[in-house]
Amino acid sequence: MDRKEQDKIIAEATSSEYKEGFVTDVEQEFIPKGLSEDIIRLISRKKEEPEWLLEFRLDAFRKWQKMEMPTWAQLDMPTIDFQDIIYFAAPKKDKDRPKEIDPKLAETFDKLGIPLKEREVLAGVVAVDAVFDSVSVTTTFRKTLEEKGIIFCSFSEAVKEHPDLVRKYLATVVPASDNYFAALNSAVFSDGSFCYIPKGVRCPMELSSYFRINARGTGQFERTLIVADEGSYVSYMEGCTAPMRDEQQLHAAVVEIIVEKDADVKYSTVQNWYPGDAEGRGGILNLVTKRGLCRGSGSHLSWTQVETGSAITWKYPSTVLLGDHSSSEFYSVAVTNNFQQADTGTKMIHLGADTRSRIVSKGISAGRSQNSYRGLVRMGKGARNARNYSQCDSLLIGSRCGAHTFPVIRSFNPTATVEHEATTSKISEDQLYYCNQRGIGPEEAVGLIVNGYAREVLSRLPMEFAVEAQKLLQVSLEGSVG
Amino acid sequence: MIASDRMGHGKYIDPFRGMPPTHTVGAGEKLVLEYVILPGESREVTLRIDLAGEGAEAEIRGLYLSGTDEKVRFDIVLQHRAPGCHSRQLFKGVAAGNADVRFEGKIVVAPGADGTEAFQESHNILLGETAQVETSPQLEIYADDVKCSHGATVGRLNEDELFYMRSRGIPEQEAKALQILSFLSPVIPGASSDIENAVRSLL
Repeated sequence: MDRKEQDKIIAEATSSEYKEGFVTDVEQEFIPKGLSEDIIRLISRKKEEPEWLLEFRLDAFRKWQKMEMPTWAQLDMPTIDFQDIIYFAAPKKDKDRPKEIDPKLAETFDKLGIPLKEREVLAGVVAVDAVFDSVSVTTTFRKTLEEKGIIFCSFSEAVKEHPDLVRKYLATVVPASDNYFAALNSAVFSDGSFCYIPKGVRCPMELSSYFRINARGTGQFERTLIVADEGSYVSYMEGCTAPMRDEQQLHAAVVEIIVEKDADVKYSTVQNWYPGDAEGRGGILNLVTKRGLCRGSGSHLSWTQVETGSAITWKYPSTVLLGDHSSSEFYSVAVTNNFQQADTGTKMIHLGADTRSRIVSKGISAGRSQNSYRGLVRMGKGARNARNYSQCDSLLIGSRCGAHTFPVIRSFNPTATVEHEATTSKISEDQLYYCNQRGIGPEEAVGLIVNGYAREVLSRLPMEFAVEAQKLLQVSLEGSVG
Repeated sequence: MIASDRMGHGKYIDPFRGMPPTHTVGAGEKLVLEYVILPGESREVTLRIDLAGEGAEAEIRGLYLSGTDEKVRFDIVLQHRAPGCHSRQLFKGVAAGNADVRFEGKIVVAPGADGTEAFQESHNILLGETAQVETSPQLEIYADDVKCSHGATVGRLNEDELFYMRSRGIPEQEAKALQILSFLSPVIPGASSDIENAVRSLL
């Protein structure tokens, strides 16, 4: 296929609409623009927070003021004016959590395919915490979960109802001063999900958080805390979308996961923030810190992410393997098109003996996008017989995009073994020819090849997500034949 | 230390002495560099290689055997600027004692450098409880018609192999020396007695 034809198909693909790009017209409450101690006090007051949490915020803010924005990523980051952002926006209602959900909000989530009414959920397999701008709108299936002793609620509620748990675990995995954006989040975080699975309990359904940015000029700063006590199991999913706008919006989240002895946590993300238009205008700046601590022996944490949205993605879900025999996996598919930029990867910090980790990363770049994998595997002094295997592949579609790989391996232990492999290639003429010859059109053939390429990761997603992810992959790349 | 540099037109230079760290390889030329770092020396190898002409080739091989308090650094940037260039890099070594080894190697493929083939490998064995290795092979690719890969490993000697040799009466030290020599052999085929002695001295 010649270049002209390719360009045409790419052009067609990039004009395909972002179907989650609508705006919900709902009366909203904002606080003034800007960031200062007064604003933080105001957010804290609005959320009726205890004194210790306000102190935590202020402490983080003071640390943040002394920090500088990191520049090491392979990203062309616009200057962010932190005084030009509204740090709190909530749909207007008497209280944070009204008894009845505003029908407009229900409609919004319905349009996004997120069921907020329990009876509508297919066989009741997913419990959802829906976050709209700065507040959680509702959490479904709380009763069913409570019977098992599982706590699943919005972060604000957790602060009120389970302050001891929140206080015990908050910022134990991602300290407030961890990095620039984590510090910012610690200062101004608004809502998010809290989840606690007690000893020996296997969570009977998938838990899910859905994040929606709606208001103009705002940023979203959610905070998620998941604690899996001894021998428990939970599968957690996270999804996100935003309206189409010319301006760029900031999303700086922190996710902390604590996995105790023999517990097992599976964390899946399908990230579909608005990626900006074909000229690179607008889109979400997705600057996220996610980290899990495998604290107990035999604990296990698995990350699966499908990243198709955002103008800029800066995200490294990491695991600290502290307990002996603990293990972790990271499976990732990152797709960038048009002017999107992604710098994403993982860190596996092996501290305990006989710890295991596995990294499988698949990057796909098309258009004029830049897609980087950045990772660290560290074998500490105590990581006797620890093992890691990493596989990072990049697929290039079109000649104007970039694919980069920046892994770092550090070993301080002679009994540890680390293996890393990376390849970069394009969809070959041979593969396309083979498909075409059998009556499969170029469009479909690319879809087929890309899905096959990403299969190892997609197959790790919970069923509800796998279907959506496959469709997303198809839409994001439609027609960008290489 | 043994080092050689062989250009397409047959020129030998000692890369550790009096050689600029920057090499530009023109159309149809081939650059071959070999580095051998033996016990007792700390080394910093900085290399900037530009494959600037169509069809240029580069082959870079390095091995290190480091013990006690030695520091070894490799800092390599290899750029593919023209179409049809091929590069191959292979680095292997053993860190014992208190050795501190760092390898940073970047391959950059410029826009339009179609038909690029670039491969880089960094394999390391840690022998000492207090030795440390950091390796970071990087790829920065701005063209799509490329075949690029890199691989990196940090590990130890294979215990099954060791057991096999010991069960056939080969002393432990000798068995380990054989393992290391076979591990290193792809870098410098037909290792010299210098390297053999160096391996034994590390053990």
